[in-house]
Amino acid sequence: MTQFLSRKSGSIALLVIVFVACGVPAYAAQRTSGLWWMPDVASKGGEQIDQLTYFIYYLTGAVFVLTQVVYIYFLIKYRAKRGVRATYSHGDNRLELVWTAIPTAIFIGLWGYSNHMWWDVIHKEPPPGTMEVAVNAYQFGFSFQYPGASGKLGRSDVKLLSPENVFGNDRTDPLTKEDFQSGVLELPVNRGVRILLTSRDVIHGFYIPQFRIYQDAVPGRTIDWVWFVPTKVGSYDLACSQLCGSGHYNMKAQIQVVSEEEFDNWYKQKLAAAGNASAANAPAQSK
Amino acid sequence: MAETIVHTVRGELHGSHAHHPELSFFRKYIWSEDHKTIALQYLFTTMFFLLVGGLLAMGVRFQLAFPGAPVPLIGTLLPSWLVTSAGAIQPGGYNGLVTMHATAMVFLVIMPFLIGVFGNYLIPLQIGAPDMAFPFFNALSYWLFFLSGIVLLSSFFVPAGFPASGWTSYAPLSAHAQYNGTQAGQSLWCVGLFINGLASIAGATNYITTVINMRAPGMKMFRLPLPVWALFITAILLLLAVPVLSAAAAMLFCDLNFGTSFFSASNYGQPLLWQHLFWFFGHPEVYIMILPAMGIASEILAVNSRKPIFGYKAMVYALVSIGVLGFIVWGHHMFVSGMNILLSATFSFSTMVIAVPSAIKTFNWMGTVWGGSIRYTTPMCFALAFVSMFVIGGLSGIFMAATPVDLFIHHTYFIVAHIHYVLFGGSLFAVFGAIYFWFPKMFGRMMNETWGKIHFALAFIFFNCTFFPMHNLGLNGMMRRIADPPLYDHLRSSQPINIFVSVSAFCLGLSTIPFLINFFYSIFKGPKAPKNPWESTTLEWTVPSPPGHGNFETTPTVYHGPYEYSVPGMDKDYLPQNEPAPEKARIAVH
Repeated sequence: MTQFLSRKSGSIALLVIVFVACGVPAYAAQRTSGLWWMPDVASKGGEQIDQLTYFIYYLTGAVFVLTQVVYIYFLIKYRAKRGVRATYSHGDNRLELVWTAIPTAIFIGLWGYSNHMWWDVIHKEPPPGTMEVAVNAYQFGFSFQYPGASGKLGRSDVKLLSPENVFGNDRTDPLTKEDFQSGVLELPVNRGVRILLTSRDVIHGFYIPQFRIYQDAVPGRTIDWVWFVPTKVGSYDLACSQLCGSGHYNMKAQIQVVSEEEFDNWYKQKLAAAGNASAANAPAQSK
Repeated sequence: MAETIVHTVRGELHGSHAHHPELSFFRKYIWSEDHKTIALQYLFTTMFFLLVGGLLAMGVRFQLAFPGAPVPLIGTLLPSWLVTSAGAIQPGGYNGLVTMHATAMVFLVIMPFLIGVFGNYLIPLQIGAPDMAFPFFNALSYWLFFLSGIVLLSSFFVPAGFPASGWTSYAPLSAHAQYNGTQAGQSLWCVGLFINGLASIAGATNYITTVINMRAPGMKMFRLPLPVWALFITAILLLLAVPVLSAAAAMLFCDLNFGTSFFSASNYGQPLLWQHLFWFFGHPEVYIMILPAMGIASEILAVNSRKPIFGYKAMVYALVSIGVLGFIVWGHHMFVSGMNILLSATFSFSTMVIAVPSAIKTFNWMGTVWGGSIRYTTPMCFALAFVSMFVIGGLSGIFMAATPVDLFIHHTYFIVAHIHYVLFGGSLFAVFGAIYFWFPKMFGRMMNETWGKIHFALAFIFFNCTFFPMHNLGLNGMMRRIADPPLYDHLRSSQPINIFVSVSAFCLGLSTIPFLINFFYSIFKGPKAPKNPWESTTLEWTVPSPPGHGNFETTPTVYHGPYEYSVPGMDKDYLPQNEPAPEKARIAVH
């Protein structure tokens, strides 16, 4: 047994250094500059989600610190010493019960909290006045379709989706004729937006870190339950975060969150342009 | 046949040609049916694949730190699907690197390390059996595994190179050459995984049968050492989960090459079907890759704390419940996949519940070192680090289990950090510990302790420097699998972290060098190992190092549980399983 004692102090010193070294990156994580931490939140649901993130962060942080302090204390206190034997114990059923029951309660409580929020952020009906925008993802970009003056998107169906009709619009629906398309996702601040998410080819991701929102776009389906309320004017990247091929690394679109007024101007302009285009097309079609 | 082998003595092996003629080189080293030789075949092969997977990771990290810079030294030698003419990694090639790094590490490194190497080596030796139940199957399993590795890596040489749709290979990207551009590579991926699956199934059948049927007299199930318990549960998971992946890989192969449409949206196919099949395998797979590591860590902790494992039965029940619950949590990979959102609530619940047995295990490990007489050997350092790293990996998992938080960090570097804390800081640290621990038994020589400690310190420090900041990258919104992060506005500020992570990763890669030198030097020049260098109680330490063909001179009889350390009333502080307790020893009934 003596051979295990010979260099014990050196080994302990090494272990301590190593655990301290582990603390450095852990400390680094505490810093909350833009370099280290979440981008500023810019949506209503995102603010709620951040509360939960922080709650879990402090909970897990406390558990981590507590367990590691106890653990390292044990490691130092119970190092091999000449003439001292280990305690002979096969365990303790009461302790097992305690450390089964407490984590179970915490985990189920946490599930209740997070599931409640999941309901709140995702399932709840979006606020009145919410605008619908169709989002179509493809290799490698996004395009957007806005409703016309009626404020409602025309009928669409993924079964109608084709290279000429990327949103799968139902051309027999009169509402469809008013819809117009855009390469930028222009959104009014503080108004709800519900997206109708489709994909032309493979699975893509609809990810806006500042809004804390992510949803896959799956070919063959329209995903219609994602909605959010942007709360800050600004320009953001809509990023694809599902590997979708060789151009995935640069698959993104611009999101412009603007004031209500600015949005109305943009919308009217777009609508007029779309109206002119369809007016110009109409006679050509009738010939 | 088992009977004749049982009575073989290693010392007599050379003399008893009548019973055991000297095996030809081919039968001894190539097509060997001895579980120990097969374990060593796995060991050397897997170490080679570890180097390959590690080099791929270096390529990934180089690109992330210095996007667009030519790869130093070898850049211009690399094939054109991987690099531009100037030698810089291109985005499609980067996807290939990411895909093959993960595929190799999961299927060619961690699984075979834990199951192929230590499953093979430890199960018969620790249960007191002469060999596996089906030695032929065992050899077949190794060579199928070897073949699968060759098939997977050969995609480096085909047109368009490595498969590039991620190790998860989500359809329809993976199912159509027009989308992924790597028909040959992706097809080889399917074939490779199919063969790999056959190897796993053959191995799993063997392990289950061996543990059930071939235990030595007195080796009741509740006297099995924890590595055997863990490997037994793992083998059951393998047997139930792997065929699903094999079937899915075969379907994907048909979609790619024969125009079927299991997974494409056109022709009534279903893209989400792939994800369900993949993760139905994929989540038990996560436990397949950690349970044996837990068993190994438990063993090393008990031996080096000179204490019985704290709560042996609780540990076994935790393993069993992880095994059962592991089959109903796969949907937590799919919260944002477009799957019915009501299902997410269910999977979130089962995921929170499966965290409980992991917590129990952690507390029991802490209970094991409590009151111990801890020997800081190299394997012990790795096992102790395993516990801490597993705690970090487990706690970060809670973020993802909370569905709303997952909306934000899904598919970001947060999950990359999480999986590496579990798979590298967890599984691979346990593997390193296990190699240092069982090396004397495998090769009959000791590894150098000082160099072992140096390896440990470097690996531990650089591991944390590499993977901890990835949590921050993920919180900053850095997506996985993007070749050029600064292209995004919100990621420009965090690029210095990427550089720091990459430099740490290179150092982590270099930290393997002392290990490799120590390993190969010690095989030939290490000091001779005694039978039982760690003063351990389990049966493998009662036979010579290395054990002869047939393992045990006579079938051992087992008298008590595996972790009788520091029993009061005894002179020595360990009581091997095959030694009846002396009269004055006060063994506790538990």
